[in-house]
Amino acid sequence: MSDPILELRDLKVSITEKPDIQIVKGVNLTIRPGEIHALMGPNGSGKSTLASTIAGSPTYTVNSGQVIYQGEDITGMTADERARKGIFLSFQYPTTIPGVTMVNLLREALKARRGQEVPAREFIQELRETLGRLKMSEDFARRYVNDGFSGGEKKRAEILQMGMLRPDLAILDETDSGLDVDALRTVAEGVNALRRPEMGILIITHYERILDYINPDFVHVLVGGRVVKSGDFSLAKQIETDGYDPILKELGLLQEVAS
Amino acid sequence: MAGAHAAQYAPEQAVSASRDRGEPSWLADARAEAARAFDVTPMPTPALRPWKYTNVAGLVIDSFAPDARFAPFVEGAAPEGGFAGTIAHALLDTAQAPVVQQHLGAVVKATEGKFVAANAALWTAGAFIHAPRGKAFAGPVSVTLEAGEGAIFPRILIVAEPGSEVSVIIHAASGDAALLASTVVEVVAQADARVRLAFDVRWGDQTQEFALVRTRAGRGSDVKIDTLAIGGHLVKQAFESLLEGEGATSTIRGVALGDRDQHFDFVTYQDHIAPRTVSSVGIKVALAGYSRAAYYGVTRVEETAKGADAVQENRNMLLSRHAKADSDPVLEILTNDVTRCGHGATVGPVDKDALFYLQSRGLDNRAAMKLLVAGFFASVLHDIDDPVLEADLAAEVERKLSVADY
Repeated sequence: MSDPILELRDLKVSITEKPDIQIVKGVNLTIRPGEIHALMGPNGSGKSTLASTIAGSPTYTVNSGQVIYQGEDITGMTADERARKGIFLSFQYPTTIPGVTMVNLLREALKARRGQEVPAREFIQELRETLGRLKMSEDFARRYVNDGFSGGEKKRAEILQMGMLRPDLAILDETDSGLDVDALRTVAEGVNALRRPEMGILIITHYERILDYINPDFVHVLVGGRVVKSGDFSLAKQIETDGYDPILKELGLLQEVAS
Repeated sequence: MAGAHAAQYAPEQAVSASRDRGEPSWLADARAEAARAFDVTPMPTPALRPWKYTNVAGLVIDSFAPDARFAPFVEGAAPEGGFAGTIAHALLDTAQAPVVQQHLGAVVKATEGKFVAANAALWTAGAFIHAPRGKAFAGPVSVTLEAGEGAIFPRILIVAEPGSEVSVIIHAASGDAALLASTVVEVVAQADARVRLAFDVRWGDQTQEFALVRTRAGRGSDVKIDTLAIGGHLVKQAFESLLEGEGATSTIRGVALGDRDQHFDFVTYQDHIAPRTVSSVGIKVALAGYSRAAYYGVTRVEETAKGADAVQENRNMLLSRHAKADSDPVLEILTNDVTRCGHGATVGPVDKDALFYLQSRGLDNRAAMKLLVAGFFASVLHDIDDPVLEADLAAEVERKLSVADY
């Protein structure tokens, strides 16, 4: 079996400005090249916190445990170091950056990722190709980052960046939220089109529907900051039909969540 | 308190220097009056609202030796009947001299203040841009202000006759020596004239500039002024627009990028006098190091200005925790018949979410800051008429941020 891309070892995370509030309470997770993992769970279970923590957000502080990426302990690394090593976070709520075009952002990001200036001709060619695979027009790249984008456009813009940056680990945080069925299909097809076989993917989602397009190898259920159950795709299907309650009941957790 | 070079600021000296240059007697008289005003006018104190954040109590203007050889370098081809050159040359031209005489000192009176009086008494060469009736300049006129040390008094007069069009770019640069610049720009925009004026401010580290730019905007005229402030130790600029003609439009745009102990102070005064006049002020400031900025803007809608449209905005981005900005936009509305009146001010650090977003794409802190500041300035820079200047300024902002102290 190949070496893992990502290993979370008993990871405990709190909010930096409120150190008393622990959100992730000991998570273990291993993602190997080519694997797609889905992290599901009710609202407030710590899914997005975990995603941001792996990406290195200063909003969260790791209290204990480790984040191991391609064999290296990156727990103390800044977000930009992690990104340059090939970790990509597709944001649930991508930020608007007025005055900065997608082209500007992509050029700078690509320069950072590759450690050198990308020749203009090569850049344009890659951009055209990636836009094409996402069925996006070139006008899109000339617009300011997320400025006036629809929900679907924002998510496609995230996937465009993923396509250009070619990460080894992609974390898709609620990429399906706020999208109608058509937009969801477009985005999911984009992910599939730009996915590389050796890439590891962690899909954070509340609902099962995105997983119909991007089928996960493993499904984990996060409740109250802990992975309470893991399984294969059928676990996601079960959640779609019955919701989270049966799982919580089975584990005797329903009380804890309610209170 | 008189400075070491007070003799050169005296009325007798102003008159004799004027005679030596062969200036007409009306101008020599005007200089004498200005020198007398300089002598009796006190320095502004922080008790005066526009001077609240720039204390000049310790500044002695006449301790700086006037640079008698200073001359703006004016480049640009004027259409027939027009002019682009020094005021000194225009005074030798029988067609232009009367236009100079009519307008010079008519927009900004020498008796208004200390800095203005010094300028009116001691300006040398000057710059005169005259767009004749119904004619447009083929390209922008460039006015370069370049000086070493001492004191300079740049004087610029722009007269745009009815239906004319002109664009002027003022490039300001100096070395590392102590320099005081007291600048006065008078703009006369007559009916339906279109005037564009940009200040490319790249003074050296020891230059202090005090500038007053005042526009009289006639019926249907459209005046846009940009200030792009990068260099200088202290840059204080006031932009005043008197919207005297119905439907006149005044647009003021500015960006400033501060680092180390740079100090920027912008004052705007938009006076809506005639009906349906339009003013829009938008100044964006990014501050690194220990730099600071102040903005004080008054937009006044007179009782006579029915249907006025006025917006005013000042935004300050603090790139370091030592940087500081004060912002005070003021609206004075004396009529209840306005189309739109609004103002806004923000002072705050870089948007944390935007910073993390860029960092999550691999940009280190500095690269992310550069991109955010470039984006912040983009709306102003994209809107200047000259793509070469736009690209040059963007590169200059980039260079400055490469070494700025966060």
